[in-house]
Amino acid sequence: MTPVWFFALLGLVAPVLAAEQDGIAWLTKMANASRRLNYSGTFVYQHDDRIETSRIVHFVNPAGGEFEKLETLDGPAREVIRTNDQVTCYLPEAKTVLVEKRSARRFPALFPEQLGGVADNYAVIVAGKDRVAGYDCQVVVLEAKDRLRYGHQFCAEARSGLPLRARTFSEKKRQLESFAFTEVKIGGRFSRDQVRSSYAAKSKEWKVDHSALVLKDVPADTGWTLTRQPAGFKKLTEMKRSIAGRGNVVSHIVYSDGLAAISVFIEPLPKTRPARSLSHQGAVNIYVRPVADHMVTVLGETPAATVMQIANSLEFTRGRGR
Amino acid sequence: MDRISEWMDGELTAQETRVLVERVKQDAELRHCWDTFHLIGDVMRGERALSGSFERRVAKRLATEPTVLAPRAPTARRLATYTLSAAASLSAIALVGWMALFNNPLPPQSPVAQAPIPPAPVAAVPPAEQFVSVPSDGTMNEYLMAHQEFSPSSEIQGLAPYIRSVSRSQQAQGR
Repeated sequence: MTPVWFFALLGLVAPVLAAEQDGIAWLTKMANASRRLNYSGTFVYQHDDRIETSRIVHFVNPAGGEFEKLETLDGPAREVIRTNDQVTCYLPEAKTVLVEKRSARRFPALFPEQLGGVADNYAVIVAGKDRVAGYDCQVVVLEAKDRLRYGHQFCAEARSGLPLRARTFSEKKRQLESFAFTEVKIGGRFSRDQVRSSYAAKSKEWKVDHSALVLKDVPADTGWTLTRQPAGFKKLTEMKRSIAGRGNVVSHIVYSDGLAAISVFIEPLPKTRPARSLSHQGAVNIYVRPVADHMVTVLGETPAATVMQIANSLEFTRGRGR
Repeated sequence: MDRISEWMDGELTAQETRVLVERVKQDAELRHCWDTFHLIGDVMRGERALSGSFERRVAKRLATEPTVLAPRAPTARRLATYTLSAAASLSAIALVGWMALFNNPLPPQSPVAQAPIPPAPVAAVPPAEQFVSVPSDGTMNEYLMAHQEFSPSSEIQGLAPYIRSVSRSQQAQGR
């Protein structure tokens, strides 16, 4: 190839690459803003023709510590509290507390290592400006490169990068789910009280369900593998753990394409053999199927076909010396 | 599909066009749509001949059409009738053409479509078993919560996606 051709080609390719880099930079900026900024606001969650309004407060203590509180504003009261390495759901109606204990460090460090996968599986397009909750924001579009994943659209606050709106679209470009702030305050000082549960005292008499990663075993070989791993998805981690409200040790394997994740949960069959079933919560598809003596639950924010492909190609291989 | 026709009509802004071009490049279905629209346009403008067998099929269908036995009329009116029926036949051909194109599961035989298109990744997805997806009944909350921690989308959006694991639709029926 002559140098002239080379530079001509470079001239064609370079702007595309630069645009993609730009999009990835915005994703990184969004992730950083979500973790590092103080903010509080009201957001609307829309899915399946339903709308729910919630209040969210995120507080980073300069002395160390990340605190976050999510509180539903309509329907029965519910709260989700994040305190560093622990996420707690308070469900007053059911008088239940679900506690999800994470490993000491946020696990795994998803960004920016994961972002390579994003550009392989999505066309990342910095698409234009919009306005959300009174702030100018930058639209970043992630078009799925195949039908194994959904398309996404973010709108990030122009200066800080805080994601003000996130939408997920089906293969047929139908909106499946949307998170959008209607009002938000970025920055400012917060007190610890704003991120404490209103049910901290009351919930002492409630039922508490703990779940935890079995830390000494993370990551662990569960003995399960996929015969047909969906293109673009890589195994993020594999572990044995407990799940709130389930007595048995559960194998948990996570696959991701850089943006979407699919979790596989494998546990002994319950007394009544479950029928195969497909359900959804917003953009998350959930497929349950018995495999030999096990019940397999696969869920993730991908099309049902991808979730089912994983569930249907799961095999126990330890017996074969793998 | 609507976007494609808007694009062909030159109704998109440069920005919208850029986004759409990206999509068309990556989406086999959209490319097919693009090809089909152009084929229809070409045929309607008479720039492209339909295959002989197609024309024969249309002629045969027209021949079996019942003949209109209208009483004799002044020449002027008869001319109008002929013109009208000719127009009707033309639109019938156009309509049949449209239907044939859209009912045909194979890509249209246009040079663009014949160019080797790399096998779309779609082919990698086995036909999904026919399941009707129902809204989650709340029995999956613990799994949703356990999953959320590992999803990169939580990394971008913070705690907001956890709303899924306590969503009201589930509350009403489940817990």
